[in-house]
Amino acid sequence: MLAFKNVTRLFRGGAGVTDLTFTVEPGEIVALIGLNGAGKTTLMRLALGMLRPQQGSVRIVGHLLDAVTPEAWAQVGALIEVPLAYPELTVRKNLHIACLLHEADPSRVQESLTAWRLDPVDDRRFRRLSLGNRQRVGLAVAMQHDPQLIVLDEPSNALDPASVILLREQLIRRAQDGAAILVSSHHLDEVARIADRVLLMNGGRLIGELDITGQDLERTFFERIRQDDEQRDDVEVVR
Amino acid sequence: MRAVIRVETLKLTHSLVGAIATLAVIVGTPALLGGITAGVAGGNPDVIEKAGPAGTLGWNGLLAGATQITAVVSILGFGIVLAWMFGREFVEGTITGLFALPPGRAKIALAKLTVYTLWAIIVSFALTLGVLILGLAFSYGLPRAGDWAALGRLFILGVLSTGLAVPIAWFATLARSLLAAVGCTIALVVTAQVGALAGAGGWMPFAAPALWAMSNGTAVTAAQLGVTLAIPLVFAILSCAAWSRLQLDR
Repeated sequence: MLAFKNVTRLFRGGAGVTDLTFTVEPGEIVALIGLNGAGKTTLMRLALGMLRPQQGSVRIVGHLLDAVTPEAWAQVGALIEVPLAYPELTVRKNLHIACLLHEADPSRVQESLTAWRLDPVDDRRFRRLSLGNRQRVGLAVAMQHDPQLIVLDEPSNALDPASVILLREQLIRRAQDGAAILVSSHHLDEVARIADRVLLMNGGRLIGELDITGQDLERTFFERIRQDDEQRDDVEVVR
Repeated sequence: MRAVIRVETLKLTHSLVGAIATLAVIVGTPALLGGITAGVAGGNPDVIEKAGPAGTLGWNGLLAGATQITAVVSILGFGIVLAWMFGREFVEGTITGLFALPPGRAKIALAKLTVYTLWAIIVSFALTLGVLILGLAFSYGLPRAGDWAALGRLFILGVLSTGLAVPIAWFATLARSLLAAVGCTIALVVTAQVGALAGAGGWMPFAAPALWAMSNGTAVTAAQLGVTLAIPLVFAILSCAAWSRLQLDR
């Protein structure tokens, strides 16, 4: 569903991502973890065509990034940074326009409101919602058209514990139904509960996978990051 | 395409910016004309002198004033709405959600321009109707043939101004800023006014429609108006291309 092959995208000043290779297959939840500035959001922007690679290739639903068809884009759902929702519109209207933009049947809006427990605020303008409700609207917008590829950047941001459980259930159910899911997160425990694989990112590169069956995930995570930083420092010294 | 147009229509019709701009043009212009007419009717020599061709009571004075005001207000009002329609996506961050969608960003930009154009033409028509009602309310009698022609030119001035504001969509995309796009709108109005005052005449595309409408169609040639018509076409293509190639790299 999503395949990166030797993807590099650097910005002025040297930040960016280098030589990324990975796939997300149908029915799989892949989590991406790393410290702030590790390149997670850049990777996700590349996965959705917001950035084009300078080297390598990105395939989305079987198509190279420059040749993704409207039918293929209709199978993608995403939430990156800001929900696709407009402050002047009510929650219901925002979900309605999201259906139109994803070429989905607007009759599924009610189902989506119920699934994300947004019924009590359905006629409230988006600008008047709490942060947590805004995030749930963003998640509903990203997933109400039953996408086969789901890309979510920090989806549990601002969510209360009940909503985190709701999100977890939604992602697990959708993966069981065959969706390929890529999520970034800072919450290692949360990631360990839902992810089939956890990709570690540091300094703009994928540095391997994290064993989520281990006991102390945080310690393991920081140890891997420290080792990678040391290796990188050694390479710099040799140069 | 129809779905994207519906989305953009919903956004504009529910927005405060759209409502205020509509009222500013449709209500503000007749209100200003009413104020000028009241000043002229009161015999205030300063007002009469400053009003120029608009300083006479009757259809001629009313339509001259309406044309002068519309030349500025339409580009300003239309430009601000267009700046908002394009610039808001960057300022509010919703641009990220406009990627990875079936319609593609060029279609979304084209839908924005389509909805904007329809809205501005409706506003131009409503403004013309408002001026007609104002003249009737002032008991100027039924318009004669020349007055109807001037009303027609007033409407066409609004339509041409709709096109003259289109470069703002392109600028908002390049700058990724609502404020910069509003600044561009003000710059367009100033350019049009300075161009007219400097005597650039009909070859100044941003001033040509106003000169054409105010001169009863005599001061501007068809070729010069053609240049004005090329502006929206060129900048619509540039805007759609900019949206199509857009990358969120800054």
